[in-house]
Amino acid sequence: MIELKSLYKTYSPGLFKKKVPAVRGLSLEINHGDVIGLVGPNGAGKSTTIRMLLGLIRPDRGSISFRGVPLKDADIQYDIGYLPENPYLYDHLTLEELLAFSGRASGLSSAETKKRGGELMEKLAMTEARKRPLRTFSKGMLQRAGICFALLHDPSVVILDEPMSGLDPVGRKMVFDLVTDLKGQGKTIFFCSHILNDVERLCDRIGLMVGGRLLRVLKREDFAAHGEASLHLVVNRLGEQELSGLHPLLSDIAEESGRHVLSFPAKSLTAVSEQLHALNVEVLASRSDRLSLEEMFMQAVEENR
Amino acid sequence: MKKVMALSRITFLEGIRNRSVFGIALFSLFILGLNIAVAGFFMRDVGKVTVDMNLSALSVAGLLLVFFVGVNLMAKDIDRKTIHLVLSKPISRMEYIWGKYLGILFFIATSLAVLLVLSCLTVLLLNGMYAGYFGAFSWPMFFTAAFFVFVKIAVLGAIVVFFSTITSNSFITLIFSICAFIIGTTIEEVVFYLRSGFAEQEIAISESLRKFIEAVSYLVPNLAAFDFKTEAAHGLAVGWGRIGFSLGYGAVYVILLLILASVIFSRREFN
Repeated sequence: MIELKSLYKTYSPGLFKKKVPAVRGLSLEINHGDVIGLVGPNGAGKSTTIRMLLGLIRPDRGSISFRGVPLKDADIQYDIGYLPENPYLYDHLTLEELLAFSGRASGLSSAETKKRGGELMEKLAMTEARKRPLRTFSKGMLQRAGICFALLHDPSVVILDEPMSGLDPVGRKMVFDLVTDLKGQGKTIFFCSHILNDVERLCDRIGLMVGGRLLRVLKREDFAAHGEASLHLVVNRLGEQELSGLHPLLSDIAEESGRHVLSFPAKSLTAVSEQLHALNVEVLASRSDRLSLEEMFMQAVEENR
Repeated sequence: MKKVMALSRITFLEGIRNRSVFGIALFSLFILGLNIAVAGFFMRDVGKVTVDMNLSALSVAGLLLVFFVGVNLMAKDIDRKTIHLVLSKPISRMEYIWGKYLGILFFIATSLAVLLVLSCLTVLLLNGMYAGYFGAFSWPMFFTAAFFVFVKIAVLGAIVVFFSTITSNSFITLIFSICAFIIGTTIEEVVFYLRSGFAEQEIAISESLRKFIEAVSYLVPNLAAFDFKTEAAHGLAVGWGRIGFSLGYGAVYVILLLILASVIFSRREFN
């Protein structure tokens, strides 16, 4: 559906300043109904990728196509709903006026705009605030107003740049449910986030991006398998004898800050527990599988420093 | 056109609800009040002074509106990246430029119309108080001059939009626009002086400087072409030819500037 081919983009910060490569050789294919998340540290090139996809900036090299048509010839805006990170909306407009503009700009009739706007505001608990100037909104409310603006014309592709940023737990849950709902409707969702937990729960595929490069694309099967199979226990640094006693039961032993992290299949929990007890090894902490994704992420960042 | 109007509507609303508008309106009211208070000091010239002060109040209010609110309406979109959200909708860059410009135009027209009503009340009041000194006063000429204050501000609005497309900072847009206004107001006199022959007798001007000023006079709008204050103050008749020329000049300048702005804007990248 969307194909990004060998994209390169370098920013020129100004005269006599060194050029900054933002995206380097990014290739990615997004199929219809995919929910794909891009994760990476600040400056990894995630937002630049989104801006290239929206036509706000042009790649130096490479091509983008939408449904097989080059981006500049495809009226992609009719099919796309976009939420930027920290959306700056018009201070003196009300949410109703903003949505009326969104509807008109997207070619919707007034009746359709009212109906869709009403539904979205209801879903995101914004109905009460619909007549208030946007400058009186909190950060979370602005984020939700931005989501209403992006989704008003019922786009088939939804691009969300840090959709959970600045939201309180209730707001996060609301947005999470909305994205799940969109996923259920078969929408193609492309989003960037720092919150790995959300990315992991929502995405079918996760792209790890560091220094402008797309390092790895993990499929749901990869991290789901990882999650079901492994448990991780943190223990003090073990001696040779203890390690050899535990080794047959473990799938991985990692060293971290003077401690050992023991990974093993969930079904081996009883055996590992008994062995640890027998060896008199104290368990300092357990780790969820989520941390594994975090570790993968951190590992990728470290490798590319 | 529907999209252009949708964008102009939100630009208009954003402008008219800006709190600076109240400040500018209060300032204009102060000038009009001052006019009433001091009118008696001018004896026979009270009619001329009234017209001059009223048109000046409109002009200053228009300038403040376009430079402080107008610049914000256009350049802040880029500054604060609101434009990312707007351009994610099916709005072309050209539609964006025209929508923004029309919004600024509606906003200035509405604000000036309100001030013009107050200005008319001031003139009516002073005309009643000093009827004997308003002999040469003509309402049609007063309205013509007031309309051309609007035309001048409309041209400056286009300049603001144009500079917003080439800079990414609202302050730089403001500085460039004010420079264009200062040059545009004085360029006619400078060129007239250089061509008059007095210049050669008084100071030495190099040929290159002369050519540069000539070139600038074609690039920057001649805002003096929209100044009908003297005619309105003295009740002098103005031919349709001059009115048509000034109006046509303003319209052509605005259209050319917006076409150029659209071309530049369509090539621009928004990081």
